[in-house]
Amino acid sequence: MDISLDSDQQMLHETAVTFAANVMTPARIRELEETDAGFDASVWKQIAEMGWAGALFPEQYGGSEASAVELALVVEALGQGAIPNPLFSTVIEAGLLLLDAGSPIQRETYLPRIASGDAILTTAILEASGGLRPQEIRTTITKAGNGFTINGTKLFVRDASTAEVIIVAGRTGDEAEDVTLLIVPQNAPGLTLRRMPASGGESLWQATFDNVMVDSDALVGDDGNAWAAIARLQLRGAAFKSAELVGIGQASLDLTVTYAKTREQFGGPIGRFQGVHHHCAEIYRDLQVSRLLVWQAAASLGEGLAGSREVSMAKAKCSDAMPAATRIAHQIHGAIAYYRDYPLELYYHRAIAAQAAYGDAGHHRRVLSELMRTDLDGFRGDNRHDLPVHYF
Amino acid sequence: MDFKLTAEEQAFRLEVQDFLRRELTPNIWLAHRDPTEQGMWTADFTKAFRRKLGAAGYIGMGWPKEYGGGGRNRIYQTILWDEMEYHRAPGIDRSVTYIPNAVIAFGSDAQKAEFLPKMVRGELSWFVGYSEPEAGSDLANLKTKAVEDGDYFVITGQKAFSSDAHMADYGWVATRTDATSTKHHGLTMFIVDMTLPGVTVSEYPTLAGWTHHAVHFDNVRVHKSMMVGARDQGWKVVMGAIDYERGALASAGLVNYQLDRLLAWCAQPREGAAPLLDDPVVRDELVRLAIEAETAKLASYWLASLSAKGLRPQHESSVALLVKRETSRKFDAAGLELLGQFAPLRAGSPAVALAGEVEVEYRDHLYFQFAAGGFDITRNVVATRGLGLPR
Ligand SMILES: Cc1cc2nc3c(=O)[nH]c(=O)nc-3n(C[C@H](O)[C@H](O)[C@H](O)COP(=O)(O)OP(=O)(O)OC[C@H]3O[C@@H](n4cnc5c(N)ncnc54)[C@H](O)[C@@H]3O)c2cc1C
Repeated sequence: MDISLDSDQQMLHETAVTFAANVMTPARIRELEETDAGFDASVWKQIAEMGWAGALFPEQYGGSEASAVELALVVEALGQGAIPNPLFSTVIEAGLLLLDAGSPIQRETYLPRIASGDAILTTAILEASGGLRPQEIRTTITKAGNGFTINGTKLFVRDASTAEVIIVAGRTGDEAEDVTLLIVPQNAPGLTLRRMPASGGESLWQATFDNVMVDSDALVGDDGNAWAAIARLQLRGAAFKSAELVGIGQASLDLTVTYAKTREQFGGPIGRFQGVHHHCAEIYRDLQVSRLLVWQAAASLGEGLAGSREVSMAKAKCSDAMPAATRIAHQIHGAIAYYRDYPLELYYHRAIAAQAAYGDAGHHRRVLSELMRTDLDGFRGDNRHDLPVHYF
Repeated sequence: MDFKLTAEEQAFRLEVQDFLRRELTPNIWLAHRDPTEQGMWTADFTKAFRRKLGAAGYIGMGWPKEYGGGGRNRIYQTILWDEMEYHRAPGIDRSVTYIPNAVIAFGSDAQKAEFLPKMVRGELSWFVGYSEPEAGSDLANLKTKAVEDGDYFVITGQKAFSSDAHMADYGWVATRTDATSTKHHGLTMFIVDMTLPGVTVSEYPTLAGWTHHAVHFDNVRVHKSMMVGARDQGWKVVMGAIDYERGALASAGLVNYQLDRLLAWCAQPREGAAPLLDDPVVRDELVRLAIEAETAKLASYWLASLSAKGLRPQHESSVALLVKRETSRKFDAAGLELLGQFAPLRAGSPAVALAGEVEVEYRDHLYFQFAAGGFDITRNVVATRGLGLPR
């Protein structure tokens, strides 16, 4: 057992934090939030050049076969810098989905261009109910000649306006998991996009599919058998969003400690007051344990749904604790940070979005609750233990 | 980074589990549990058990080899502490963690030669004489004085809240040697043989049902050779080994035991009612607790990992202890709720739940909130030492 970063990981983290701290100003971040794209393509290109877009891909696709822990460190750092970027849409959703379930040709087509920062992709899974279970996918996919026809409305599609393709999930049968994934060009006739203005800096879209037709080679994985791959996508999403939440918490703490040391009231810095001490200690405590849960979640990802216990623990905790950290941070800043030109608002907003993404705290506690009900040993994970005394 | 125990670490964990199952059978439990003792075991059994720990090589695993140490890193020690706590075994306390580490760090060669071999065999029991009636969190306010007299120091004063002083062979006692000094200047540490004339121990019943102690020193003559570290430099000694003790106390065995015990309670069939685990509200409560227990475990192994790398975690050990103890208190409170009508019942009552343990611990663990490593003081430490906020 070794729950600590090795020196390479530490260096990677420092590099990423420094990069994110310097690559753009808060003013530029706010400017980007007003655009449709939501991110700066030249910055994304730089992120790719650092090797971070393809970090998890095999070398043959331009990747470096790093571990999920390493990508989590990068995600955390970008979250700490509040840098708008298409890592979730393009890499964590679409890229890793194609690596997981795509055909060799699909991988060859997209992964190297994702790794080089030249292709933006996204996925469209969620619908009107907003839930993550297979039966909530109502969009239909029907066979039509040599291909498929898609009808339905998707919500919360990240970066749809800049994506060259959208990988869409639709229903092919009556069983809950009769779900198929198709790669759809973003400019396909019958596909319309509408912006979903939202807190948190992400470019989110409603995507309506009105008799959108694609060829049979658009199929990702087996027809009617895509749910397992979607579940894994959501698992990865939750793990890496938890890492982003830790970055949000770290930035909030850093801003707060700096402010507490410099803001003077009653003849000295407010950071000398014990009420302030204890608030800061609370943020630090929750931040540190959240970070440990995230490392564990990332390290537990593997075959199939491996790590789902650990990921749900991380997302449940981070989704509760990191938004709480931003609220305490504002407590200590008072009025100054209530104004938009103070950087803390970036994190307050990002926490709103990140806690919701890929399942909020309640969702992940329900996952764990179900695991407890059906598989108590699995629920206890590596902590399984025989009770030494029997009471019953 | 690796969140799994290595094969060797796992083998050690199983070995410790075997040892504990063998040494703490239900019969032994019946014969030696003692609710009037702080450790919940009779003093004799605690002492005998400590020797067994010594014989099994479980004491001093992390000490340097020259002092009889086992040269095993903190991961192994954390595994041991975890299993000991989970099985509620006696013996891993200040006598084998804090004191020997302080002796290694600050003791004279003669003190090391005299005490370490006995301590590694588990032969010595100690009490820590820091707190006094007027020196709690503000320890530097202590008044017990030591006055030099030839080859001796003469100690007079009173120590309070002195855990296990009644079974101690030695006291680890903080005194004021410079009467003109205040606060942390002018303090000196002594090792005090508890059989010396003038040492008396008095008793105070606690609300948890066990008996606590205080120690009185009435002109106790302690030889100079029993001074630890330099004269008037006692504060360094006091602070020096505290992080190690925090690390030992931060192990998550207790909270994992609390979780498993509540899960077992909630899973059991009930007459005329479905098992509690069928209730989603109950499960949600247990899920929240399980996540907290997981954080306590991770924090303790994080600390162990940093130490195993040769780093010296400081405020990190305070955080880990805070996480563990806050989590334990959450279990205590949730336990009352989940036990429903049965919560107040004590051992011996008809229909008592979980042998009354939850109710006892609800009282016993109260001290987690304010004794050494207390919640608010720890938050002070994290804010000032960890985050660098001004005082
Ligand atoms: C079960 C038990 C075992 C113990 N064993 C030992 C032992 O073996 N040896 C030994 O020397 N001592 C022992 N102690 C004493 C223990 O170390 C003290 O309880 C501790 O140092 C706190 O002192 P106090 O209880 O006098 O509380 P006080 O210091 O009087 O504090 C009272 C309350 O005020 C709070 N407070 C005080 N100062 C501050 C501050 N600056 N900021 C915020 N809050 C503050 C405290 O957190 C606490 O809640 C034991 C105590 C208990 C309960």
